[in-house]
Amino acid sequence: MTTTLLPIASGRRTWAAVLALVKPRRGRLAGALLLLIAGTVAGLVAPPLLGHIVDLATGGGRTGDFLMAGAGLVGAALVEAALAGFGVALLAQVGEDSLARLRERSVESALRLPLEQVEKAGAGDLTSRVTNDVAVVAEAARSALPEFTRALLTIVLTLGGLAVLDWRFLLAALVAVPVQAYTVRWYARRAVPLYARQRVAVAAQQHHLLATIDGASTIRTFRVAGEHSGRVAARSQQAVDLLLRGVALQTRFYARLHVAEFAGLAAVLATGFLLVRGDTVTIGTATAAALYFHGLFNPINTALALVDDAQAAASGLNRLVGVAALESPPVARAETTGAPVAIEVQGLSFAYEPDLPVLRDIDLTVRRGERVAVVGSTGAGKTSLAKVIAGVHEPTGGSVAVPAGEVALITQEVHVFAGPLADDVRLARPAATDDEVRAALAAVDALDWVTQLPDGLRTEVGAGGHTLTAAQSQQLAFARLILADPPVAILDEATAEAGSAGARLLERVATAALAGRTAVIVAHRLTQAVAADRIVVLDHGHIVQIGRHEDLITQSGPYAVLWQAWSGTRTHPAA
Amino acid sequence: MKAALTGQRRLIGLGALLATGHQAGEASVPFLIGVIIDRAVDGGVGDLVFWLGVLGTVYIGLSFGFRYGARTAERAAEQAAHDLRLQVTGRVLHDRGGAETGRLPGALVAVATSDTARVGAVAVALVWGTAAVVAVLFSAVLLLSISVPLGLLVLLGLPPLMWLTRLIGKPLEERSETEQEHGAQASGVAADLVAGLRVVKGLRAEEAAVARYRQRSQVALTATVRAARTEAVYQGVVLTVSGVFLAVIAVVGGILAARGSITVGQLVSSVGLAQFLVGPLSTFGWVGADLAQGRASARRVAAVLSAPVAITGGDAVPATPVHGRIDLRVRDLTLKIAPGETVGVVASDPAVAAEIVRLLGRSADPVDGLVELDGVALTSLRPGESRAAVLAVEHHTDLFAGSIVSAVSLDRAEPVTVHAAMAAADADEVARTRPDGLDDGARTLSGGQRQRIALARALAADAPVLVLHEPTTAVDAVTEARIASRLREMREGRTTILVTTSPALLAVTDRVLFLHDGTVRADGAHGELAAGDETYRETVLA
Repeated sequence: MTTTLLPIASGRRTWAAVLALVKPRRGRLAGALLLLIAGTVAGLVAPPLLGHIVDLATGGGRTGDFLMAGAGLVGAALVEAALAGFGVALLAQVGEDSLARLRERSVESALRLPLEQVEKAGAGDLTSRVTNDVAVVAEAARSALPEFTRALLTIVLTLGGLAVLDWRFLLAALVAVPVQAYTVRWYARRAVPLYARQRVAVAAQQHHLLATIDGASTIRTFRVAGEHSGRVAARSQQAVDLLLRGVALQTRFYARLHVAEFAGLAAVLATGFLLVRGDTVTIGTATAAALYFHGLFNPINTALALVDDAQAAASGLNRLVGVAALESPPVARAETTGAPVAIEVQGLSFAYEPDLPVLRDIDLTVRRGERVAVVGSTGAGKTSLAKVIAGVHEPTGGSVAVPAGEVALITQEVHVFAGPLADDVRLARPAATDDEVRAALAAVDALDWVTQLPDGLRTEVGAGGHTLTAAQSQQLAFARLILADPPVAILDEATAEAGSAGARLLERVATAALAGRTAVIVAHRLTQAVAADRIVVLDHGHIVQIGRHEDLITQSGPYAVLWQAWSGTRTHPAA
Repeated sequence: MKAALTGQRRLIGLGALLATGHQAGEASVPFLIGVIIDRAVDGGVGDLVFWLGVLGTVYIGLSFGFRYGARTAERAAEQAAHDLRLQVTGRVLHDRGGAETGRLPGALVAVATSDTARVGAVAVALVWGTAAVVAVLFSAVLLLSISVPLGLLVLLGLPPLMWLTRLIGKPLEERSETEQEHGAQASGVAADLVAGLRVVKGLRAEEAAVARYRQRSQVALTATVRAARTEAVYQGVVLTVSGVFLAVIAVVGGILAARGSITVGQLVSSVGLAQFLVGPLSTFGWVGADLAQGRASARRVAAVLSAPVAITGGDAVPATPVHGRIDLRVRDLTLKIAPGETVGVVASDPAVAAEIVRLLGRSADPVDGLVELDGVALTSLRPGESRAAVLAVEHHTDLFAGSIVSAVSLDRAEPVTVHAAMAAADADEVARTRPDGLDDGARTLSGGQRQRIALARALAADAPVLVLHEPTTAVDAVTEARIASRLREMREGRTTILVTTSPALLAVTDRVLFLHDGTVRADGAHGELAAGDETYRETVLA
């Protein structure tokens, strides 16, 4: 199957989406910016006040004058702290609010995507969007956005401050700008691809280590520790090399910024020197200018260093908006109306790729309440048939009709949702009471072990919680089915992963969960077939046999051969 | 930790030297600004040019020091982490095992990545910590040379102020961190829901899932907004404290300058140095934290490296050729298997089945019993040699990334054998549908596909004795029956033990040992047992 990644929004589209998100919050955004501007201005009062102290010192000022200036400095610091604090908090709130809205919308469209599309893209693509991309954008909204805004305001307003002192100071300070502009472009061109490679290498190393450590027992069994250690070493070395290249790039970046710093500082100092000697400005003003410029180092470094984060956040945003903007039309289904018929499949054909039909000319009518087992070898089309009936895939030809209401599909993939066990089961019906949850668990023979868990129904299970066995996880899946209570249920090898001993328990549980429902069971152990009302034998996408177990074992055909091998009656005729 | 870092001591020493140069340069910049301002009052253009030249030289020095100091420190850190990582991996993969006992794979990966990185980061902390000490001393000399009282004010005032900021800031920071952790949980919920997407879709529970995520997202939103506010308060406190301190220095310095004790340039230098000192002093904070973290991580790494082995015993090599007679006595169980036999082992208790496979594969040694190969105790053999002779594949077995052929051949089996093994296990069909091979540890394969490749790998190893534990539980009945007879053919003449309850596999064995209630309850052909033994029938056919 070829992978088709989920869409990524264009820059313009993302920008429009961001504007739309911020629009209802524009009042607060404007307020935040005003507070930040006012706070930065208050902070910029400090250098001229220090300059004033220098002038007082050269003029032999009185202690009272010094104290007044000192009080001014304290006041400026307090006002700056208060205004900037409120501004940052308000800005973060606007950012976080918009982000929460965006991530909720992305997860919502992600969960509504047709399974077919997710499978084509690979689940990894979707997961990384709703986790990594959200995290990158969140990090940017939380720290980079306020920091960047403050740094930018400080730079612009400081340059303004320099101009107020004397326009020549501004000109001197601008000497640094071409070097900085060049440095940022130089850096961004190299850093973005390098960091992308770095992230890939570090992730690959982690991944590889996990696979190696997870498989330690297998590695010992097959005596391949040497090869695997070698591969871990190679991956680790690759990651180390890339990390060091990143460090080297950063140090070169700062070396260039040092050049800019020196050029600007020397120009400002020389300007001050000449202006003071020409009596155009006081020594205090020259001091203020020098301090202004020295104070620019940190915000400039901050703003430039955040260029990386900004790029990462922008690409994360593109990917998030790409998912959030997806529309998922529901699959149109025909409905069976006749009371005795639950599922009506007529002339069905299906293909994943145009020239490779997986199912051909399938006709199947399932009566209400009937249990049909589907048997066949790998590639015969069992799972595809289950998925088409469940509505995951649309038929390529023919028709499938199911009753109005719900068709549930339970697969061999067990997933336990992280959180309290009761919430896991309740996902099927959020309004279910504790008693209903308990009844569902009792029906699948799970209540005993659930009540013996550390916190009973409230025990945290799934990732990071109490680990359940494969059989227990599948019991939960059946409990969910009971709560969801659909008239039709499709089981796709739902008892396969538990091993033979677990499979027996699960088959009993499945029988209980399917009571009163119409069921199509992709059988993997023949015992499931024995218990079914009818058996459909599939081969290469065709139905080759259909009938009851008792009848099929007496007919010559693939099912009888299979049963003989299974029951050990090939050499010892049935008793 | 010491061992890991002494390997890098040259790099650390060199890095510290270079970083010291950088810090001294950074301290000199505000000092030189003051000097140049003084020259503006009473010097000539020649002075300006000279001092700007000095400033330029200092910049070249500090830039050079930073560039190579940072690189050297990071190289030392990464190299130390890399070396440790390989040691941890080597210990985990050691043929006598034991490192995984009591540790989840995720925790071991964390030791091999985060903990080794933290131990390595101590190198960086040492470099910059040393540089910060020298920077503080250097600034102190500069300040005291300007004015003893002003110098003392800065040097004695700064540490308690920083301590005060930390005192106020620490609880705020901690609160902000826990709130952010809260926020991170929403991401966990999203990943979890997407991982269970098939289950959600299968139950048509999209609405419930969306509602669940929205709720967590809103909780996270509240927490992060609160965290941002806390952070803002903290920053406000820092701004205020440093502002007040600056004002005090400026006022005292101004008064001293007005009295003529210091020049205005020296006043500017002092203010600049006081601002600069915040940097190295706060370095001590993170260096201390990094050292503490490094020590804790080093303990975890050491615990893994010194973990006791899971199996002990001798280093003997089995006599060749291996005939493949197996005698196993554990408690009241006695299993005797002749060379070349294909035997089914059915245990009504799955734990007993798993134990037998583990003992044969030397994942564990018998506490109360003995396992012999051709009359020699397995425990007397070197684990690798023992496993080469008796290949016991547990039910849960991992596949590794790469092409399907290399996953089966492990880059050592002959192509002919690999081909035959893949055909016997029906894995060639998987290889056809997956031309790109396995990525991601074969996570995208179905259970049945995974098992067929794993079975092919076990067959391709061509071991004198092969033990398989439930190798086909996820394979459909039609394919399973086909695999069973081919497996039998391929293993003809060599000892094969099938620990399973699958009738399809048992049907091709020479005889079946049925273990029930701690003893061998029955010994006979599958058909006989299925026809004659009610308990056996319940175990394999029900």
